[in-house]
Amino acid sequence: MADELDLRTLDDEELVEQMHDDLYDGLKEEIDEGTRILLERGWSAERVLNDALVAGMTIVGIDFRDGILFVPEVLMSANAMKAGMEVLRPILSASGVEPIGKMVIGTVKGDIHDIGKNLVAMMMEGGGFEVINLGINNDAEKFLAALEQHKPDFLGMSALLTTTMPYMKVVIDELKERGMRDDFIVLVGGAPVNEEFADAIGADAYCRDAAVAVETAKTLLAQRRAAARAQA
Amino acid sequence: MSTERSGRRGENRREALRASRTQRQVGSIRPLVRKLNPVEALDQEGIEKIHKASMRLLTKPGFLILDYPSALEVFKAHGATVEGNIVKIDEATLMHYVRMAPSQFTLLARSEQNNVTIGGKHMVFAPVYGPPYVADHDTGRRQSTLKDFENFNKLSHMIPDLHHGGGTVVEPNDIGVNERHLDMVMSHIKHHTKAFMGSVTHADNAADSVTMARILYGTDAIAQNPGLLSLINVSSPMRHDDRMLSVIDVNARAKQALIMTPFTMVGATSPTSLAATIAQLNAEALISVAYAQMINPGTPCLMGSFISIVDLKSGAPTFGTGEQNLLLFAATQMARYYNLPVRTGGNFTAAQTSDYQAGYESASTFWPTVQAGTNFVLHAAGWLEGGLISGYEKFILDSESLGMMANYQRGIELDEESFALDAYDEVPPGGHFLGASHTMRHYETAFYSHRVFNMDNYEKWQAEGMQNAYKRANGIWKKMLAEYEAPALDDAKREELEAFMRWRKEQIRAGKPRTEWQG
Repeated sequence: MADELDLRTLDDEELVEQMHDDLYDGLKEEIDEGTRILLERGWSAERVLNDALVAGMTIVGIDFRDGILFVPEVLMSANAMKAGMEVLRPILSASGVEPIGKMVIGTVKGDIHDIGKNLVAMMMEGGGFEVINLGINNDAEKFLAALEQHKPDFLGMSALLTTTMPYMKVVIDELKERGMRDDFIVLVGGAPVNEEFADAIGADAYCRDAAVAVETAKTLLAQRRAAARAQA
Repeated sequence: MSTERSGRRGENRREALRASRTQRQVGSIRPLVRKLNPVEALDQEGIEKIHKASMRLLTKPGFLILDYPSALEVFKAHGATVEGNIVKIDEATLMHYVRMAPSQFTLLARSEQNNVTIGGKHMVFAPVYGPPYVADHDTGRRQSTLKDFENFNKLSHMIPDLHHGGGTVVEPNDIGVNERHLDMVMSHIKHHTKAFMGSVTHADNAADSVTMARILYGTDAIAQNPGLLSLINVSSPMRHDDRMLSVIDVNARAKQALIMTPFTMVGATSPTSLAATIAQLNAEALISVAYAQMINPGTPCLMGSFISIVDLKSGAPTFGTGEQNLLLFAATQMARYYNLPVRTGGNFTAAQTSDYQAGYESASTFWPTVQAGTNFVLHAAGWLEGGLISGYEKFILDSESLGMMANYQRGIELDEESFALDAYDEVPPGGHFLGASHTMRHYETAFYSHRVFNMDNYEKWQAEGMQNAYKRANGIWKKMLAEYEAPALDDAKREELEAFMRWRKEQIRAGKPRTEWQG
């Protein structure tokens, strides 16, 4: 069905709607193609991002929250979004447009349970964020090296075990020690983690699930940028 | 494909998904055929010991027939010995008649796709039967009305894992006791399209049920396959009365199906030992089946059992105990030994409300009911307070377990696709399968999808009002009733059924004897 249609025959409005559907259906190649067509037609990368991709993923997010979509479906949608973002990202950064945001994420030292963390990474990518996924079992040195290298907006840490979750505090303390704590928004999550723990260790927020992580990231980044502008 | 916007493709998928994944499968059943072998409590030697003990009970002390001389005549004419009101029957004579009952039959439903097979590996779930009270989260327990009766039928219509609409889903206390059976059967016919049960409160009421089934299905149709299934209780120990025997007569003559159910309160209506209890309820069910065959050979019959262990400190019935479940397994084994369909079990509890006890006891009776391979499960949804209450929320909560059990009885598929070889080619050790091609081929139907229970984390649950299962079920049944649409019923049939009801009610109110409806 998907290969019967030539996306180029659609006018702009139809193409954008088609891309919303294709994101919903997780069609990676179609999103890649649609993104390129809109750019060729003179759309700004920012407009493609907002009107075609982010708007489409918002629909996916609503239906995931409402229990309509299955995780594998959202994963396919996020992969399609990621394909579109890969086309847009270099143009966005070259044009000086404020990026949606970047996150370094990993499970902490001693913890190899990464399904939840991967879901968060996937949903963040679906939300348009650039994600550097450090995988499992990261000590403070690895986190800090990645933060210095990628200069993200967010540090995301996760743990499944009550015995490993205190290590999140070790990383945060190390950030404080080096005077880097305020350079990043620190988000934490994982089955045994809650808001109280997040507050106690000095994180910026606790994210109870992958969908909430995206919302929280968007809100906190917007606040942070507003505050920065106010100071400037 | 849409023509409205010719350039685009598949634009309605979201709408279609939202509709298909939130809306209920209304009006049709999801049939259940078990793939697993039944759990057993007796070995072959044990089965034969029980059989022998049952045969002995039917010659000593024999079986009491209360206030119904014609049954004594029937037994005598078919080779049994009658001493006063006691019938004694030897093994050869008894088994000669028991063997006349079919091992499997089809029960008609208003919608043909909802016809159900009773027997073999088929399993049929039906709602609670008989409570005089209804309860919900808002008002607690109260006397039930016809409106409640209709509400449960409407809910049944919307629950595909209820394969059968049941009978007295709750007692309509606001309608006169002599005529309410007409309203009850009519509600079953009007409010859902599944099979239903006939009235057994009087021979005339059973006859009225048969007449209504004839109008609905046609006289020839119900002569070939029963349109009614009716619940006969043995008033244990070892006794039938005129009411039950006359209702057997009416249904057997019309070749309508019967469930022969000894009412076994272990310790009170049977001895405290499990062997004696199973032998007794076996004897009681078998002589009932044999009687129906004497009236009309080939009458479809189920070996039934209702088993509850009595709390010997209070006399109250208990549910979900180990002893009860051993008897349940043994009862289904005995039925299979005689090649008869079996009814037992349910979602039983003694609890007065949909609390932990209700859930735990129900699960503790429903799992063995399903594992036993029971053919017909009455009381599969709604039962509270030892059967005195039909609970609205309990009905919804139980319906969740029906769906889970259906998936359990699918067993383990062992074909090549089920070993997911390509998934291991795709996903390295330590990866995840959430996006693997194999997952993408199967995720929609791989597992049971919950409709009532909640898997949210604490924070989300808190943010959405901290509703426990009881409260959530309250919202669900109300939403279901609000969304309910009555299934279409043929006008001519509806008119004749209504005319019959009016005519019979006049007859009943005038105190005149029942005569047969001439259309």
